[in-house]
Amino acid sequence: MGLLSIIRKIKRKEKEMRILMVGLDNSGKTTIVLKINGEDTSVISPTLGFNIKTITYQKYTLNIWDVGGQKTIRSYWRNYFEQTDGLVWVVDSSDLRRLDDCKLELDNLLKEERLSGASLLILANKQDIKGVLTPEEIAKVLNLEAMDKSRHWQIVGCSAYTGEGLLEGFDWLVQDIASRIYMLD
Amino acid sequence: MEEGAEKHKKHLAMVERLSKRSQRRSENAESSSSILSQLSQLKSSIESQLAQSLSSDPSDPSKLKLHFQNISQSISELEQLVAQNSYSLPSYDVRTSLKTVSDLKNSLDLLTAQLIPRKKFSFKNKPTATKKDDSAIPQPKQLSTLNSDFPTHHSPGFANKTSELLVADFRDSQVGEFTLSDLDSCQVRIIGSVRALFVHRLKNSTLYVGPVTGSVHIEDVHACVFVIASHQIRIHAATKSDFYLRVRTRPIIEDTNAVRFAPYCLTYPGIEEDLRAASLHDETGNWTNVDDFRWLRAVQSPNWSVLPENERVGIVDISNFQNGDNDL
Ligand SMILES: Nc1nc2c(ncn2[C@@H]2O[C@H](COP(=O)(O)OP(=O)(O)OP(=O)(O)O)[C@@H](O)[C@H]2O)c(=O)[nH]1
Ligand SMILES: [Mg+2]
Repeated sequence: MGLLSIIRKIKRKEKEMRILMVGLDNSGKTTIVLKINGEDTSVISPTLGFNIKTITYQKYTLNIWDVGGQKTIRSYWRNYFEQTDGLVWVVDSSDLRRLDDCKLELDNLLKEERLSGASLLILANKQDIKGVLTPEEIAKVLNLEAMDKSRHWQIVGCSAYTGEGLLEGFDWLVQDIASRIYMLD
Repeated sequence: MEEGAEKHKKHLAMVERLSKRSQRRSENAESSSSILSQLSQLKSSIESQLAQSLSSDPSDPSKLKLHFQNISQSISELEQLVAQNSYSLPSYDVRTSLKTVSDLKNSLDLLTAQLIPRKKFSFKNKPTATKKDDSAIPQPKQLSTLNSDFPTHHSPGFANKTSELLVADFRDSQVGEFTLSDLDSCQVRIIGSVRALFVHRLKNSTLYVGPVTGSVHIEDVHACVFVIASHQIRIHAATKSDFYLRVRTRPIIEDTNAVRFAPYCLTYPGIEEDLRAASLHDETGNWTNVDDFRWLRAVQSPNWSVLPENERVGIVDISNFQNGDNDL
């Protein structure tokens, strides 16, 4: 385990950030990634494995790993933890029934030692739908205030359809990571 | 005038983009077998490198370390190759490759732990065994507090009904998500368009739905018939049910068996416009491109099949309530 991370560190290019997008299936991860990359979002299949997108954002290169959220493939999430700078947890704000599932999976993820240094952005997606939970309500349900004090985190309401909130969220994430790992330059 | 010209230009650009994309798709299809052979070559080379490390000289750990570094790089390359092609490879290949990468990483970790004395390059000596135990302990406290904190929101829908005909008409109104849960022996008709549909715990029921512009999420259904048009559909824990679908993307099933698929067969006055508005007027043929997440092999999954033509219901008209009862 240690070996892999050492090699990745050596290979790591400057100004590169590794971002891991996870969340339950149907939450909108792939739609969000394609939207911020300015791509067509009208025909997106449920993700069977994972996709990577390299996106230039401000002066940084983001390697965004978008991993499928179906139950069967959640066990593979762990393969992507190593060297993650930023964790994006996407929530479907209209899916009330599975919020407890959502909380359980997030809690499990945050126990991961390999992710302990990662900045955490929670995207309360699908805010364009009327009557969905607000980011504040989701923060309460997920009990975010109780998170380990050392964790840098932020919750932002967004819509992958309108694009609202996405830049705000990613701005925070990139700034937060940059202030931690590129402090010296 | 100018607006029209602008629109036309946009349209042309879109058509151009789409045609390029489908071109790229077919190129991808041709090259996917060459990608697969690259993948399998890489895999066997990594496996033989892993095997070699067992017979290497144990008195020279630095050499072994280098050897492991090379293997690790090869695994990363393999992973990149899968990731870059995951849009175009057939789904079962993506998933088997995913498993291959994961297995190879595990073998490498195991061999590393076995052959190289740990303290030589781990900076902190953490007792890993106890860490594993921690993560296995469920935390029921957090779960039970959840429900009491749950905000009281009402999403529109039908819940807790038995033997009823349930009709919702959205032809003149805009609705976001719609939820159906805990229905037994009911017939549900949703006329007009909704953005998203959640279906949970249905038994012996029939569901007729106009176009869904977003996704449909189905979980825990038994002995039901679904007639649905939507952009995406995810089916979980379904048994003995029939699905008549029109979908923009491949339907997926997980933990599901004895389900059958056929093309969409619904009508009501105005459905054509609704389908068009939702970009669902064309038959995509995706109703038969089902991906089973629990089935890793190239041969047809035993969990689903195509509904034989002579067993399909005909076109179902849900505008007439009286007649409709006989359909159930
Ligand atoms: N209304 C609305 N729908 C959205 C939004 N974002 C995504 N969706 C829809 O939600 C569904 C799921 O989106 P995906 O991007 O495939 O979700 P995912 O998280 O990648 O799902 P998996 O790949 O299965 O893990 C699609 O039908 C999207 O069109 C949003 O902001 N608003
Ligand atoms: Mg996806």
